[in-house]
Amino acid sequence: MAALAALAATVGGLLRLRAAGAEGQWRRLRGAGLLRGLLQPDSATGVAAQRRHVAHFTFQPDPEPQEYGQTQKMNLFQAITSALDNSLAKDPTAVIFGEDVAFGGVFRCTVGLRDKYGKDRVFNTPLCEQGIVGFGIGVAVTGATAIAEIQFADYIFPAFDQIVNEAAKYRYRSGDLFNCGSLTIRAPWGCVGHGALYHSQSPEAFFAHCPGIKVVVPRSPFQAKGLLLSCIEDKNPCIFFEPKILYRAAVEQVPVEPYNIPLSQAEVIQEGSDVTLVAWGTQVHVIREVASMAQEKLGVSCEVIDLRTILPWDMDTVCK
Amino acid sequence: MAVAAAAAAARIWGSSRGLGQAGLLLLRRPGAWGLARSLPQRRAQQHFPSLDDKPQFPGASAEFVDKLEFIQPNVISGIPVYRVMDRQGQIINPSEDPHLPQEKVLKFYKSMTLLNTMDRILYESQRQGRISFYMTNYGEEGTHVGSAAALDNTDLVFGQYREAAVGAAYAAKRANANRVVICYFGEGAASEGDAHAGFNFAATLECPIIFFCRNNGYAISTPTSEQYRGDGIAARGPGYGIMSIRVDGNDVFAVYNATKEARRRAVAENQPFLIEAMTYRIGHHSTSDDSSAYRSVDEVSYWDKQDHPISRLRHHLQSRGWWDEEQEKAWRKQSRKKVMEAFEQAERKPKPSPSLLFSDVYQEMPPQLRKQQEALARHLQTYGEHYPLDHFEK
Repeated sequence: MAALAALAATVGGLLRLRAAGAEGQWRRLRGAGLLRGLLQPDSATGVAAQRRHVAHFTFQPDPEPQEYGQTQKMNLFQAITSALDNSLAKDPTAVIFGEDVAFGGVFRCTVGLRDKYGKDRVFNTPLCEQGIVGFGIGVAVTGATAIAEIQFADYIFPAFDQIVNEAAKYRYRSGDLFNCGSLTIRAPWGCVGHGALYHSQSPEAFFAHCPGIKVVVPRSPFQAKGLLLSCIEDKNPCIFFEPKILYRAAVEQVPVEPYNIPLSQAEVIQEGSDVTLVAWGTQVHVIREVASMAQEKLGVSCEVIDLRTILPWDMDTVCK
Repeated sequence: MAVAAAAAAARIWGSSRGLGQAGLLLLRRPGAWGLARSLPQRRAQQHFPSLDDKPQFPGASAEFVDKLEFIQPNVISGIPVYRVMDRQGQIINPSEDPHLPQEKVLKFYKSMTLLNTMDRILYESQRQGRISFYMTNYGEEGTHVGSAAALDNTDLVFGQYREAAVGAAYAAKRANANRVVICYFGEGAASEGDAHAGFNFAATLECPIIFFCRNNGYAISTPTSEQYRGDGIAARGPGYGIMSIRVDGNDVFAVYNATKEARRRAVAENQPFLIEAMTYRIGHHSTSDDSSAYRSVDEVSYWDKQDHPISRLRHHLQSRGWWDEEQEKAWRKQSRKKVMEAFEQAERKPKPSPSLLFSDVYQEMPPQLRKQQEALARHLQTYGEHYPLDHFEK
């Protein structure tokens, strides 16, 4: 359980767990919200069980990628900024807009971009999600690249009509005369422990059966940058959910130059023979631990798959 | 911290100036010695006049008032209706005459009447079961033709989708495309949240867009008295900081003039314009509607006979010697023939192939959709006799 020691170093989630005062061989750890107690046995020598003090998972960085050139240590929000920076540099039509993006964003994903690219390319909008997405559709219809930010995935619902009835159907209903393929919608996603009803939601299921859009959730900074760049360049409207608990907690070596990770391709993180575990976003890291525990305690061999793209999803890899 | 500093400032400089100075302090981050450190910097800054003159709120700049009084919405004598012709087609104010050449005005007339003819034929064809659904334009021909005539060929037209229109206008501005975007919608659609979002974004993001509202009195069966309580749609524009005008939608020259000027300024100044064209929906909402259920035949008849955009323009043309009864008869015959020929040609065409159900959902066809497409093809091979496949392309 070296993983637990690493947990103490993670920032971001800031969840406090209080160990139960119970005596006995098993200590149960309690946490708030999504945190489930992990039953920790005392070791044979009777040393106190390790306790989780922050998040309910350990972020597991992937090994440094070799094939994309020079890398830099980045956390998730820095990886996002890097992707956005690359996009605005390559594509002169690209614009980023949403609530509070001008000063850098409430999660710092757009820091420095307005100064670098100008106020006509990185700008605030009024507080209106249906407007943000509707406006983004219009920008994309003219062929320009629109990168819209919804401040929290919890607030995407006022834009649901624009996404499902307008963006998703634009190409189909015009027989390919028009399209809004150059639209990408980004939103911070998922629980942090103290976010309560409206700063914690994972709404990908609401979009998972809407033909015409793509839905993507990365597990790490390296994955996020490559997948976000693919979403931006994809010729279909995409929703990109960013696990907010990982913004600062997940740190990895990420290539400085642009690179693409393909959409609609799941990744087998760990091969196994008895059961398949499919996850996306933050939960990939929980599932990885579960797989180790299952192997250690139950002798069960788990295959761990990060789905990455929720829609259209990679049926072949999962069902193979 | 800032509050304590503000109170201290008020004590030192007196209440009238202290609060202003306090305002300065609140704007900047006060350190532990906030007052002392910021004093010399404050002297060098802009001098605020006495507070009694003007409030300093970032949200609004206006005068103070010391009498409690609510603003009364003005719906009795609201925004006036701009017109160029009277109901007999005579130009009222010669300086507003657009002085369009004869062939252009004739094109207006022929477009409006051709549309009217097409409406009659297609409405009938729905009644005969030859098409499934139709919506007529009776009474509103002036708004369509007058506004369209004022645009350039490269301008973008959105028939609804108000926020998307704003986004397109923003992109057109960035591209220096010299294009305006026009977005048409009815007074009912103006109640949607989209309209609010569209207006607000267009104004804050300074977009070259014309919002053209066709106020025809009804949203299906809902009269304007149940749609809004303010002074129509034009009165909302100033609330967003948008240049606004109300025009007589049955006066094709008024519509033309307003749209032309709005277009020129929207592109030149990168700001939105709101035109509310007042008109009347003479026909039913659609072939699925019978409007006698909610309005009187007399009301409809009034507009049809006394204030129709086509009659008005015809009177104008006739008074200028540009049109007469003989031309009218010949053109009616010719336009009917044109519509019938096009209709019959369209009727002969088969419907699109069923395999097209699956294309253009995405730019590329994903495997799941391809499988569905193949499954449908196999199904039709086996059970095709149960489907009217003769009406469809292969």
